[in-house]
Amino acid sequence: MSNKNKIYWLEGVTEKGVKSLLNDENSRFSWLRRQRNRRVLVLFMAMGIIVTAMGSYYSGLKEELRLDGSAEIVWLTVAVLFLLFAVLVGYSLLRIAVRGIADAPTELLDERQVRVRDTSYRYAYLISGYLLITLLLLYIFGPEISLFSDTANDGSYLLIATLFAYASLPSMVIAWRERDI
Amino acid sequence: MSRNPEEPVYNRIEEARVALGLSRQDLADKAGVHYQTIGYLEREEYSPSLVLALRIAKSLNQEVSELFSLTPLKKGK
Repeated sequence: MSNKNKIYWLEGVTEKGVKSLLNDENSRFSWLRRQRNRRVLVLFMAMGIIVTAMGSYYSGLKEELRLDGSAEIVWLTVAVLFLLFAVLVGYSLLRIAVRGIADAPTELLDERQVRVRDTSYRYAYLISGYLLITLLLLYIFGPEISLFSDTANDGSYLLIATLFAYASLPSMVIAWRERDI
Repeated sequence: MSRNPEEPVYNRIEEARVALGLSRQDLADKAGVHYQTIGYLEREEYSPSLVLALRIAKSLNQEVSELFSLTPLKKGK
């Protein structure tokens, strides 16, 4: 058996990494693969993405809520914790929960898994369309935002949240829809 | 797939597998699929391609026509 670990550059995964997720090598995460737990994780992820996006309206929100120094620290801490959870822990757990099927190359999946993966991308594409419409409506009718601004509402959080949602959506769809992974 | 609207394919995979004393993992290894896929097939929630049906039939020493049907099968026959 070859020890060579093939790298799939386009998908950003390795053969060993995908096979490890597809098999039950990480048995300590098997609880995460129950549909109920996967759905809870999806809801946490969605919350994390929304909180990240809300960072773009922090300047305006701060004035609206009339936060003083100590309240601002609490608010910032909560926001950063949500952000860390969503970006680092949530995304990693979600990939483990769906065995990395959304990011796996076709040659490492069986025919049902390929179908699950492809269906998830179809739904993710449709959901992305609705997200883009929401972003457009926010841009037109919402508070004014600009990119990388420290004085006005900073649109970079919205951009990060959008990219993050874009990357996570296929896995989130699989986690929500599939009975057994 | 849990919500598959296509015409179901009925099968005797579980019966044939148990008769040979194979686990789902054993059959999955022989047929070259994930063990969850065997579960989906046995619950008739996924219709296999012809290639997979042939591979499973071969793994279970049966003919495809004995194992799969478009009409409900009487188990144990």
